Amino acid sequence: MHTTSWHSVGPSLDECIKCNICTSYCPVSAVTDLFPGPKYSGPQAQRFRESGQPDTPDQAVDYCSGCRVCNEVCPTGVKIAELNARARAQIAKEKGIPLRNRLLGRNELMGRIGHYAPRLANFGLHNAVSRFLAEKVMGIARQAPLPYWSTDGSFGAWFKRTQKERLHARQKVVYFHGCATMYYEPFIGKAAVAVLEHNGYEVIVPPQNCCGLPMLSNGEFAAAEGYHQRNVNSMAGLARGGYPIVGTSTSCTLTLKEEAPELLDMHSPDVTALKMGVWDIFEWLRELHEEGKLRTDFRPINLKLPYHAPCQYRAHRVGKPALEIMALIPELEIPESHARCCGIAGTYGYKTEKYQIGMDVGEELFQFVREQGDDVTMTACDSETCRWQLEHGTDLPSRHPIEVLAAAYGLYDLETRELTSQSNSM
Amino acid sequence: MKRINTEILVIGGGATGTGIAWDAALRGFAVALVERRDLTHGTTGRYHGLLHSGGRYVVKDPQSAVECIQENRTLRHTHAHCIEETGGLFVVTPEDEGDFPDLFVQGCAETGVPCNEISVAAALRREPLLNPRISRVFEVPDGSADSFLATHATAQAARQAGARILTYHAVTGLLVTGGDGDKRVVGARVMDAVSGEEIHIHAAMVINATGAWAGRITGMVGIPISVIPGKGTMVAMNHRLVNTVINRCKMPADGDIIVPVHTVAVIGTTDERVADPENLRIEPWEVQLMLDEGEKLVPGISRARVVRAWAGVRPLYQEDYTGDSRDATRKFALLDHQRGHGVAGLITITGGKWTTFRLMAEKTVDLAVDYLGERQPCRTASTQVPGAEQGHYWLGHRLHEIEEEHLQGELICECELVTRTMIENAAKRNPTVTLDDIRRDVRLGMGPCQGGFCTYRAVGILHELARQAEGAGPTEEETKEGTERDAAWEVAYLQSPRHNLSADERPARDEAGLQPNLLLRDFLQERWKGVTPILWGRQLKQERLDELIYLNLMNADHLPQTGEKSPLTDFYLYDATPNEQTEAPA
Amino acid sequence: MIDYLVMGAGLSGLMSAYAAVQSGHRVKVIAKGLGALHWGAGSIDVLGYLPQARDAVVRRPLERLADLPANHPYTILGPAAVQDGLDKFMRLTEELGLPYYGAEAAGENLLLPSPAGALRPAFLAPAAQSAGTASDDAPMLIVGFERLRDFYPELIAENLTRQGIAARAVKLPYELLSDRRDANTVQLAQELDDENRTERLAEFLREAVRPGERIGLPALLGLARHAQVVTRLALAAGAPVFEIPTLPPSVPGIRLFNTLRAGLEARGVRVEAGMEVIEMNAEEGVIRWVASETSARPLRHSAERFVLATGGILGGGFMSDHTGRIWETVFDLPLTTPQSRSQWFRPAFLAPDGHPVFQGGVRVNAAFQPVDAQGAPCFANLHVVGGALAGCDPLAERSLEGLAIATGMNLLKE
Repeated sequence: MHTTSWHSVGPSLDECIKCNICTSYCPVSAVTDLFPGPKYSGPQAQRFRESGQPDTPDQAVDYCSGCRVCNEVCPTGVKIAELNARARAQIAKEKGIPLRNRLLGRNELMGRIGHYAPRLANFGLHNAVSRFLAEKVMGIARQAPLPYWSTDGSFGAWFKRTQKERLHARQKVVYFHGCATMYYEPFIGKAAVAVLEHNGYEVIVPPQNCCGLPMLSNGEFAAAEGYHQRNVNSMAGLARGGYPIVGTSTSCTLTLKEEAPELLDMHSPDVTALKMGVWDIFEWLRELHEEGKLRTDFRPINLKLPYHAPCQYRAHRVGKPALEIMALIPELEIPESHARCCGIAGTYGYKTEKYQIGMDVGEELFQFVREQGDDVTMTACDSETCRWQLEHGTDLPSRHPIEVLAAAYGLYDLETRELTSQSNSM
Repeated sequence: MKRINTEILVIGGGATGTGIAWDAALRGFAVALVERRDLTHGTTGRYHGLLHSGGRYVVKDPQSAVECIQENRTLRHTHAHCIEETGGLFVVTPEDEGDFPDLFVQGCAETGVPCNEISVAAALRREPLLNPRISRVFEVPDGSADSFLATHATAQAARQAGARILTYHAVTGLLVTGGDGDKRVVGARVMDAVSGEEIHIHAAMVINATGAWAGRITGMVGIPISVIPGKGTMVAMNHRLVNTVINRCKMPADGDIIVPVHTVAVIGTTDERVADPENLRIEPWEVQLMLDEGEKLVPGISRARVVRAWAGVRPLYQEDYTGDSRDATRKFALLDHQRGHGVAGLITITGGKWTTFRLMAEKTVDLAVDYLGERQPCRTASTQVPGAEQGHYWLGHRLHEIEEEHLQGELICECELVTRTMIENAAKRNPTVTLDDIRRDVRLGMGPCQGGFCTYRAVGILHELARQAEGAGPTEEETKEGTERDAAWEVAYLQSPRHNLSADERPARDEAGLQPNLLLRDFLQERWKGVTPILWGRQLKQERLDELIYLNLMNADHLPQTGEKSPLTDFYLYDATPNEQTEAPA
Repeated sequence: MIDYLVMGAGLSGLMSAYAAVQSGHRVKVIAKGLGALHWGAGSIDVLGYLPQARDAVVRRPLERLADLPANHPYTILGPAAVQDGLDKFMRLTEELGLPYYGAEAAGENLLLPSPAGALRPAFLAPAAQSAGTASDDAPMLIVGFERLRDFYPELIAENLTRQGIAARAVKLPYELLSDRRDANTVQLAQELDDENRTERLAEFLREAVRPGERIGLPALLGLARHAQVVTRLALAAGAPVFEIPTLPPSVPGIRLFNTLRAGLEARGVRVEAGMEVIEMNAEEGVIRWVASETSARPLRHSAERFVLATGGILGGGFMSDHTGRIWETVFDLPLTTPQSRSQWFRPAFLAPDGHPVFQGGVRVNAAFQPVDAQGAPCFANLHVVGGALAGCDPLAERSLEGLAIATGMNLLKE
């Protein structure tokens, strides 16, 4: 399955000139011997893999966090992280997938189950006894920063409830909220809707499901393929109709754009139409700004806000548009992190055997935040799991840049994470 | 001048020669084998690595097919660890018309080559890169083989049975008694290529197993024989694009096979008559032809990275034959020079193919027995060589062993997963004159970077070994004892990281004389020679990085030197760069 | 809108960005990945060997520029501009805390021990390397470490001795560097940033060194705290300490890259990796934009002027195929390289005159604009710097970094 093909991943191993730049920048192999590094596990080991061998030649590839720093620094264009993801899928296919990984891969299902009784679910998940059991029975690290279900209802419920108050306009934009916004952080979606409407766009939220990334990173390719196909069925038409599809979760948008088509070898016209229609929300706002259409009626925000562009965001290869747009906000000081990765890498840092690796990887980022001084009260980062990890590692609250932007428009309270009365959305 | 007495002297350290030494030693003969370079330096080490099922010969040469399938089964037992059970497919591409597929099926049935037609869909599931436009697919028990390891293992088995294997010993003349009519070869004059010492080896029977070079030996006693050197050019792709041997289902021709062997896929071969088996050029049209033909089996293959090209010479014997070399017989030729030319004490074995080397050896020793008298029966068909108990080779075994034993930090050749201890032990267990010898032992420098990183490292390691051996090198006495100890050397495990967790305690032998700067230059040049024919695109970029390492970083072209040469320096310097003058034959 | 878009984050790209931003321009650097600085020795080679006389090392490079062919980038620039670029580089690296030094006899090449023990001609070297110069007659103690696969002290010492330089070798336990089973030199350098490790290593060095010797170590003496590590080791060992570069990845090269990148960012220049240029648009000989590959649609970058700093064959600036075609990857600029594989190589890998395929490149005019066969600029607003330039083989003549600095720093020179 998917081990070799002429589509870009397989043959990209031919690009490797063994120069070791990737290994020098890999945040995981920098802190542990358990992962032999991207060159070793990627293009090097790939030459020794085929399906149906007497034994799995290397299990260590499972310690790749999939952060894609290797892809970013590789001077010759080897798709190292994707080679590793496929190797993991091959192992999963031959050896089976542990229950824990199946569960972590089903972020959406977990979200949906919990959101019916969020307080109970939060208690159930977050009390010491169940975390202890989750660690012992399933291998989910006790200390890992698992999310809390929204006690305020899901984003979907809010969006439906407030339909009458929503802006209806000729210009429309499609919003892909992702599972975290849906069940854990509906306020991110509210901020996004507020920002988009403030700029005169009507927001469409079509039926959608999990992007499939958690499954891809846990080697469940077949299941991920079904998820992606459903999203394609639901949104390809909108993409074809010229509606931009924006997302606030950097890893979801990356999956829709590239990871799912590439890893799963899905290249139908519909898949490609969706791929080409998806934007990270700031990537799209930057386009708007370049066309002179972004409203810049910002209120000053007098804040020192250390910003970390997550590895999954950098993997879009569009630069750091959130940073560029936030830089327009008066008085906002944004020290930029050059840390390679926060360490959580999706579901990686949740796993008992990888929790400490994740924290060691994140230390570079935590240290950067600490070095910014005591007057720092909050950080910013685009990806949900990274924010949770950042909060876990620094004890400071962390915000999505869209929250910051909504606040700058006067539509959102950064402290309470609620829309203000000025927004026409309550 | 040294003198050695033996019963049988074998000339040539390829598959056939070592096979003969093994067979004869097992039958109870005293045997010495001389090879002018390293084992497998000639044709054996330069073939595509196919373990024939016989399928390629069922129509054209049924007797060869019968021999192949028989030996295929035998070698899977005797040399298990040298063979990968890849299986093979014969595919009918849109260009292969006519009734050949039906003849093929019929031929398989008649020769006993197992053949199973499978659906195109099943073939594509197994090999996703295969041309989807193929119309029929037949499955046969082809395999791939490591001819370096197999020859080392055979030589090891021969040593254990008492044979003496002398590499870097070149025959400079034959020892002859009698005159016209009752001429008898009684041994050979041999030159130790490293020390320059001359040795006379006296033997009751001299067996000439020098393949394409056979005429040079017989010429020493005035016997002209016609061995056609048929040059076969092969290209190795940077990774295995297929995991099954893929053959075109048609009459054997140029570029009609892809063999997955170790980490690469080899497209083979051309077939060109050449005058000189020694200095082979690889012409641009040959490389182009391999890629063009490869495209018909695996569309897109010419865009993939080619890591190396090389050529070997098939020894094709046919009396008074002057036609195309591919049409010359692949059957082997066993020449009894007493009956044929009135020169006693000399047998020549040539022709054939790697898959049938054991059978050739058996028949040769049978002939020698006619003159020397019966001892014990041939036992090579049922005796496993050392290392065979490891079971069949599988692609991931090194990766697996490296991980299990936590050896990632010990890797010297990172492309082919060679550890420091593997190199040290190879140097101690097999005579080492150049790094190319180590390459054949452990696959040093055979991956994508073609020695870019590991040449320097291996030189550093060998130099350290040599320094340790200085003053503590083995005495003459110890060397003699060493010959007996040879039998216990675990040469057969050279390629296994797990079997080389600790360095051998025996002192380094020949390394005391190694000159690091010469080792470095020789190996860089040896690698260069094999990449220039395919140097473009990504491999050219790789080579430029290798240049950066050896020019800017090492300043290797300005290392102190005294003009010293190894026995192979000139061989490596032969100009193999692409040459525009030669056109493809019409 | 930015003024200069620099493509390539090797030394020539970073130097161009610096030259442009110093002149008050808005500059951005994009690159496919991180490049050439991570491979080399971290020293600045200006000219080590002349094309026609590769057996004799060039003693005073700037005085020999006149011996280079007319189409050589140094000739096009002229010696004064080359000197000026190097001076600026020295001032910049000093300001940024990673000072580079030349030979004591001003204008001469340093001769520095290579990891094989040859003497390598470099014009400037970071402080830690320049202390290994052969012009100093203090004997050398070359210190290696067990298991370290990228450094062989006995080989270095023996070759140095053969060249009349007193040297001996010693190997120390690997555990002094790391408790890891597997680490490359960059990771080891990071481990030595830890003061406790430095102290322990210093103790062993003090034991090993004899009076009057200087200590040569593999180039992994700290990354972020490099200067402190070297100072501490030398003080504690009571002997000068110098670095010998190792196989890629190059720790000294990464130090230089990090230093220059930080210096540029402090001046408001973003250096973005992971962006490969795949498309360009020009109207009437003026480039309007280039576009880089992303996870979905190409990303356009508009600018007033564009700088091509993508290097040659190794940097990825040129690509070639089996038909013998070789092309420049962004603008398909005309190349002087022979378009036939039969003219690319010489039989010997270490051929004294190098390989023709590596000597070709982009032909430029005095303003370093690429020109066509008639000598007319291909584009009005494009400049080419560094490894892509025709008329030189920067590896064979040991001019790689010097060319990058000289052409980059002089980007705005009229």
